Amino acid sequence: MPMVLLKCDKDIPEREKHIYLKVDGEDSRDFLPVSNAATLPGTLSERGCAFCGAKLVIGGVLKDTIQMIHGPIGCAYDTWHTKRYPTDNGHFNMKYVWSTDMKESHIVFGGEKRLEKSINEAFDEMPDVKRMFVYTTCPTALIGDDVKAVTKKVMSERPDVDIFTCECPGFAGVSQSKGHHVLNIGWINEKVGTVEPVITSKYTMNFIGDFNIQGDTQLLNQYWEKLGIQVIAHFTGNGTYDDLRSMHRAQLNVVNCARSSGYIANELKKQYGIPRLDIDSWGFNYMAEGIRKICAFFGIEEKGETLIAEEYAKWKPQLDWYKERVKGAKMAIWTGGPRLWHWTKSVEDDLGVQVVAMSSKFGHQEDFEKVIARGNQGTYYIDDGNELEFFEIIELVKPDIIFTGPRVGELVKKLHIPYVNGHGYHNGPYMGFEGFVNLARDMYNAMYNPLLRLAATDIRGNLNTRFLEAAE
Amino acid sequence: MGCEITNRARAGVINPMYDCQPAGAQYAGIGVKDCIPLVHGGQGCTMFVRLLFAQHFKENFDVASTSLHEDSAVFGGHQRIRDGVMTLVRRYPQLRVIPVITTCSTEVIGDDVEGNIAACRKMIKEEFPGRKVHVVPVHTPSFKSSQVGGYAECLQALIKTIATAKAAPNGKLNVFPGWVNPGDVVLLKRYMSEMGVPATVFMDTEDFDSPTLPDKSIHTHGRTTVEDIAGSPNALASVSLARYEGASSAQYLQTEFNVPAHVVPTPYGIANTDAMLRKISEITGKPIPDSLIKERGIALDALQDLAHMFFADKRVALFGHPDLVIGLAQFCLEVEMKPVLLLLGDDNSKYKKDPRILEMKATATWDMEVVCNADLWELETRIKNPDHKIDLILGHSKGRYVAIDNNIPMVRVGFPTFDRAGLYRHPTMGYQGAMLLGETIANTLFAHMEYTKDREWILNTW
Repeated sequence: MPMVLLKCDKDIPEREKHIYLKVDGEDSRDFLPVSNAATLPGTLSERGCAFCGAKLVIGGVLKDTIQMIHGPIGCAYDTWHTKRYPTDNGHFNMKYVWSTDMKESHIVFGGEKRLEKSINEAFDEMPDVKRMFVYTTCPTALIGDDVKAVTKKVMSERPDVDIFTCECPGFAGVSQSKGHHVLNIGWINEKVGTVEPVITSKYTMNFIGDFNIQGDTQLLNQYWEKLGIQVIAHFTGNGTYDDLRSMHRAQLNVVNCARSSGYIANELKKQYGIPRLDIDSWGFNYMAEGIRKICAFFGIEEKGETLIAEEYAKWKPQLDWYKERVKGAKMAIWTGGPRLWHWTKSVEDDLGVQVVAMSSKFGHQEDFEKVIARGNQGTYYIDDGNELEFFEIIELVKPDIIFTGPRVGELVKKLHIPYVNGHGYHNGPYMGFEGFVNLARDMYNAMYNPLLRLAATDIRGNLNTRFLEAAE
Repeated sequence: MGCEITNRARAGVINPMYDCQPAGAQYAGIGVKDCIPLVHGGQGCTMFVRLLFAQHFKENFDVASTSLHEDSAVFGGHQRIRDGVMTLVRRYPQLRVIPVITTCSTEVIGDDVEGNIAACRKMIKEEFPGRKVHVVPVHTPSFKSSQVGGYAECLQALIKTIATAKAAPNGKLNVFPGWVNPGDVVLLKRYMSEMGVPATVFMDTEDFDSPTLPDKSIHTHGRTTVEDIAGSPNALASVSLARYEGASSAQYLQTEFNVPAHVVPTPYGIANTDAMLRKISEITGKPIPDSLIKERGIALDALQDLAHMFFADKRVALFGHPDLVIGLAQFCLEVEMKPVLLLLGDDNSKYKKDPRILEMKATATWDMEVVCNADLWELETRIKNPDHKIDLILGHSKGRYVAIDNNIPMVRVGFPTFDRAGLYRHPTMGYQGAMLLGETIANTLFAHMEYTKDREWILNTW
């Protein structure tokens, strides 16, 4: 019973290759959904574009950097007010977005002058800010503006500023994943090694692939401070531009999100010989394991055990209170990719929750290998799931709760299924020990919402009455 | 003193006020029943706009993408249009309308949208004989106009494609409210019903506010039907309440089918609503009923308690959709507030000649500035300038930090208002809308007085 062709997919049978139902005795050597492949037009896929993978996910997190988007206004408008990544400097990154506001004449005659003017204006308007990312978009890439020549010129005229150019038109690749890759590789090749960090500890690392969603980075940073480990760069949660230029001086790269940021860790290993250590930051077992691995690397195991013991003493009783109440629940995860494999086993081990269906927007083969290895039998593993598939899968697995984005959350609310924001969280952070208690609490509050029971009640007493619209 | 009309001087934008054309086209598209817009472009052009709608309405709306990838950028996206349309038609048997909405990338590539749509029509006919699906070309390159123009463009394209012939008069009024909330649509429908005027609202977004039901059925969709659109040439007249988001469609129906087009003042505030109702009464011969006189009186009664006591001389900055901003500036004057800063967020050159702006310019006895092609940095720099002394901001949620960081009371109005609960449900138009907005402004100012301990004791006895 390997790959599944859903009823709703009878007209797009190629979708069968993307949906896998794991059964007894199988593993990912037998079956693996096709992933990171072009989306079928008109399927109502959940995917975004390469530009958003670069700007919204990674670059836009930085707390001291102007995000100049070279393109028409929509690319800027749409990647603003859509994320929850605070900073410790008043959330500069979430308050502003910059666009060259390209118009037809710039499409016809080129947008380079417009870009140069916009860059200079942005630095003039915000004289305290000296760092900038410039992103290309679909039209600027199509007309072939030489963006790097422009940024080079500005940097030569304004010696106190530094600009990184990210060539990430929305049509590049098949999903936001392409944008992650472009930004990772561009950054390591052009910017890493251009600033020397001040070393304050014997133990130094980069923390890669954590974007400070609702304060994840800041929470985990308390652990690293207690352990006496200096984090040279956070890629990119609550991070700064110049910290990221000095990544080459760390002794260790700790990677949380391997999908969005594994590339730079691999390059740091290749180019600078810095070892890569992948950890999971969500869940008690995983977090403890991650801390143990990091401490083992630095030879500070005792410190690690003390920290873990303290955190367990503080948070485990609360986690267990929620576990008693949510265990046995069936959960679905419809997010980007890595959270599938980060969460499936951690909710099972820590909370007794069974993940019954998972859909990844932009995961690659290695993500599916991981999640199928960690996940259960009887669970659906879906690549690039679309709306009709979600309805059918819900009917098949009947989840008690879904971790997904707010739009799909609104959709499943109508089906009397509570959702928890699996991207920006409800009330996070969700990483670390305290964070996983937050996740458990939000899950519990969603599942035990009294309104759910009321929603399922037909006060006419006849459960077969169909609702007729006023217009019908 | 006097009114100055300026343009954003900078080339670049810091914090845009409007989204791009395809976003506006998608908003018009979801107003149609049994319709899924298909956006021909990169996936982000769809994914983010769906998220934006979900943020504002707390609902999910279906919009599809042709998922343009590199190969299409090089060789053209023809096949992706055809595949997209046919996949939608096959998988959604109820589907009757597919607006194919272009974007910057596909306009630059120059895909032959009309040609591919013709091919799609042929394929649909062959594969589904007897089924009619309207595939509508909508050209909305993101580098022209904005969400405002994109909304108007899609509306007009739907009418052009679906309303192809005039039949017997249906005695109805076409009402084009522009990009408004479901609360406004419900109010307008009620007004027409109370006047005994049969009317079709384009777009009827009432069900954008949709219930959770015991039978789990989902009713979140536009209510404007193919028949409504096809019947628009048979109407008695068209009334456009929005100069920039509906007038072009009314004009089209006049030119093509001799349906008289009337552009009336956008009904924000008492006097504008009066003008709208008078015009509708004049066109239809139906008197304005007592029920609306009563509603008007209740609104006036409520606003008079607020105007000269609390609102007088308050300096207001407004931003958002052009018809909203201009209409609300007029409302401000009605309740004795001073609209000192109007921000209009795209390069439409007609704003400067808008008769409503020219009238304010002619009569302004206070300092007033209209900034065209503005961004929210224009707002922020003025708010931070003590000379401007802004007391109140009226605008959408994208300007929230200007208010938060500068401690200026702000009332959310327009689109999007994702940082306040349920606003889409309430009308801003009409007498009721004026009253609700006035009272929200008052309560916001009162809360601000309390938090800042600014003569909060005045309210001890109000």
